[in-house]
Amino acid sequence: MPSQALSSDTLSIARQTNVAPQASATALDDMDTIVATYEQRIFRFHLVSIRDRDVAQTLTQDTFVRAWSARNNFRGDCSISTWLMRIALNLVRDHTRTDRFKFWKKVSDTAVDVSDISSHVPHRDSSLESRLIASEQMTLVWQSVSELSERQRSIFLLRFMEELELSEIASITGLPISTVKTHLYRALATVRARHNASLKDSL
Amino acid sequence: MNLHLTHEQLCDVLLADSSLPSVGVDHNTDVVDQHLQACLICSAELKSLRDSLSLFRDASVSYSRQEFAHSYARRSSIVPPQSMLSQPLYWAAAAVVFVAALFPINLHRQQMAARSAATAAATASQTTESDEALLSDIDQKVSADVPSPMEPLANPTDGTTSLTSTSDQRTN
Repeated sequence: MPSQALSSDTLSIARQTNVAPQASATALDDMDTIVATYEQRIFRFHLVSIRDRDVAQTLTQDTFVRAWSARNNFRGDCSISTWLMRIALNLVRDHTRTDRFKFWKKVSDTAVDVSDISSHVPHRDSSLESRLIASEQMTLVWQSVSELSERQRSIFLLRFMEELELSEIASITGLPISTVKTHLYRALATVRARHNASLKDSL
Repeated sequence: MNLHLTHEQLCDVLLADSSLPSVGVDHNTDVVDQHLQACLICSAELKSLRDSLSLFRDASVSYSRQEFAHSYARRSSIVPPQSMLSQPLYWAAAAVVFVAALFPINLHRQQMAARSAATAAATASQTTESDEALLSDIDQKVSADVPSPMEPLANPTDGTTSLTSTSDQRTN
């Protein structure tokens, strides 16, 4: 199982760094199970946020290392997935704010291109025309997301890719629900503007 | 009154797709629903946006799943699983590699020994030849009638040089 490989790599490092783990059992003590359950989801969020395979893999491991290191601070006032997603969001924020990210984004060989994604567009209809339209629609959203600010993009992905509820997004981001909605309105305005411009071009 | 839905109304419909009452959807959903039923433009745009967002989500999930599997495969190729170490085939391959590594070392040692033997033989033959030459030279010197230190010296005033000097003296 994929998570087992990561868990053995990641947690061995994490356990070495943690000198004196507390004896009290928490929900995060069974880290192998947590990694197995949430690793793919965390990786997906990192991959679509950063759009680089290697960086996404590294940040996914960092997420679980941080979770293991800070497991004693988890009070159980939110779900584990919310807590992990909050760590992942902070890592994405830290990463995208550095100048190194802006440089490596341009030159990285492992950067995700829109053509990589378009081959994964589901084809519910077999006709070539409908496939092309579907691929174009997906590309529009993909390009629109790249134009969003870091916060708008994260909230947009949490809502429309991870399908989280607004209250959960508010808990992850630490923002009020009204602010989350405002960010979503603005993100959707960008998507909608590009969408309408494409429709006008096609007419 | 607007002819079409506002941006916020359209967004609220999109956000309410899988949601709960706490999302904060406007209470005039009936009005919005009625408008969507009547207005082809708004309903078409809403459908198009829903489709695009759905395609984006499906493609992203599918792509990340594939990449996740690839990254797992890469990690697996680097670190062999623990059960591999107990398989006889693994140990047999390790033994073959070990023997293959020892073979060139052994071959090198044999070549070195052969070279040193040849060098020693050549040195011995050269020593024998030089000894024989030395002995024959000694025999020649011993068997001579007059020892070389007692042989007569060559005449230093021999030849044209001496005649010239004599004639010069007489002239003066």
